[in-house]
Amino acid sequence: MNSLLTSAVAGLTAAGAYALLGVCAVFTYRLVAVVNFTGAAIGTAGTFVLITLYDAGFPLWPSVFAGIAGGTIAGVLIGFVMTTWFAESAASTKAAVTVALLVGLIAIGLRLTGGQHPHVMPDLFPGSAFRLAGVEVTIASALTIGLAVLFTLLADWFLNLTRTGLHLRALSERPMAAELLGVRVKLLSIFVWAVTGSFTAFALMIIAPQRSPNFMTLSLLVVPALAAALVGLFRSFWIALAGGIVLGVVEGLVSGFDGVSQYRGAIPFLVILGVLLWSQRGARWDDAR
Amino acid sequence: MSIFKANSVSVNRAELAIVNDVDLQVERGTISVLLGANGAGKTTLLEGLSGVIRIAGGTIELEGQPLQRARPGARARAGLGYVEQGRTVFRELTTEENLRVGLHDSADISEAYALFPELVQRQDVPAGLLSGGEQQMLVIARALLTRPKVLMIDEMSAGLAPVIVGRLMQTMRKLADEGLAILLVEQFAALALDVGDRAYVMRRGRMVYDGDCKTLLDAPDKLHDFYLGSANTEG
Repeated sequence: MNSLLTSAVAGLTAAGAYALLGVCAVFTYRLVAVVNFTGAAIGTAGTFVLITLYDAGFPLWPSVFAGIAGGTIAGVLIGFVMTTWFAESAASTKAAVTVALLVGLIAIGLRLTGGQHPHVMPDLFPGSAFRLAGVEVTIASALTIGLAVLFTLLADWFLNLTRTGLHLRALSERPMAAELLGVRVKLLSIFVWAVTGSFTAFALMIIAPQRSPNFMTLSLLVVPALAAALVGLFRSFWIALAGGIVLGVVEGLVSGFDGVSQYRGAIPFLVILGVLLWSQRGARWDDAR
Repeated sequence: MSIFKANSVSVNRAELAIVNDVDLQVERGTISVLLGANGAGKTTLLEGLSGVIRIAGGTIELEGQPLQRARPGARARAGLGYVEQGRTVFRELTTEENLRVGLHDSADISEAYALFPELVQRQDVPAGLLSGGEQQMLVIARALLTRPKVLMIDEMSAGLAPVIVGRLMQTMRKLADEGLAILLVEQFAALALDVGDRAYVMRRGRMVYDGDCKTLLDAPDKLHDFYLGSANTEG
């Protein structure tokens, strides 16, 4: 029983990252109507800025901030492409474009970072935060989950209580109608990409030491992220948050069973399949297929 | 003195020329009515003027400021308001939130409620649940709160009860009398000509009439001929 709990708690770091990436996916979908397959790759780009600088001997925290800036810039660049050339495209077209951009980002990332060559990813938050039922919960776990909750709270507050949030809600429904009222649609859309880029970069920096820190592995964290977003039907921040946490914990639990632990990577796909079969309301996901 | 001018404007859709070499002017404090049969190019022209689609040629000026290269948002901020056809409310936002989206610093939401008191009772209702008439009032009020100098409205009366249409027409007249320049695209020609000052008639993407409304109102056969194509170009 204790080993199960240990496994579940071990999954919390991934759970926080999945939750944050999932909430960011919902944020992007709700506000700029894009099922974004590049979410994790944008964060990965920022993470590798950190790794590169740290490898080159730069101090840790300036490198972290440079990495977050890198993720933000990557998000802005992708956002610029999407808002300049695909703003009026169908959701399926936008999703297909982000898949193409993901493939491109992975190819470029692998080329620049040395493919499967292992990198040393500094542990930003080593140590234990507290004990849960006798099991150590790492600072990284607590922080990623806290960051996901913070992002969800901020998103809720921002969208419902600020004028810019109102503009974003308007543009998410009818971009052209919002623009015809003078709303700076392109600027706001790029702002959404920038925010998600910075948050995902930081989340991936935290989770990277627990993963194989190569460009492709981290970029493909988009799969559990989109699974979490799908649990929230790409609408609810809180359900996506919960979905991401449950997904991470279940992955952790499964890793405790020798016979099936090597299949834990399939869990997000099972979740996606399960939600689609259960809901039969997968219009948003259908757009991405 | 015209506040808004379109000179030799051409607009294409999917490489097809829909509007060809059209001139149009709107003056402050007047209602200009743009008429034409279905497919004449009225909506395409408004979309070109507002920036929803790019014009293929020509120039657009608002108070002498060229706008033909500006994005729709920049045109709106310059003072060119456009109410699209189809009552494009933000369905998930409440009536009040819809009004706040484009609220100009110098405007107040109470102006919208004074103009359309029906909306007061519905201020907390999601706009998607409003009736067709209420939605049309909302999109017009929402556009007015951006403080436009020129307001273009496409098919204001589509799908509305005659009593609502009459009410909206009178509102347009009142707004024009207060100094707003209005360009109205309308299917109910007689109603529009009744409140309008200047009329334009389009046929197959070209302007075939540019004159006063009264002339057309007094000679309905002439308008009929313009629609069907048996009258010569005037203006």
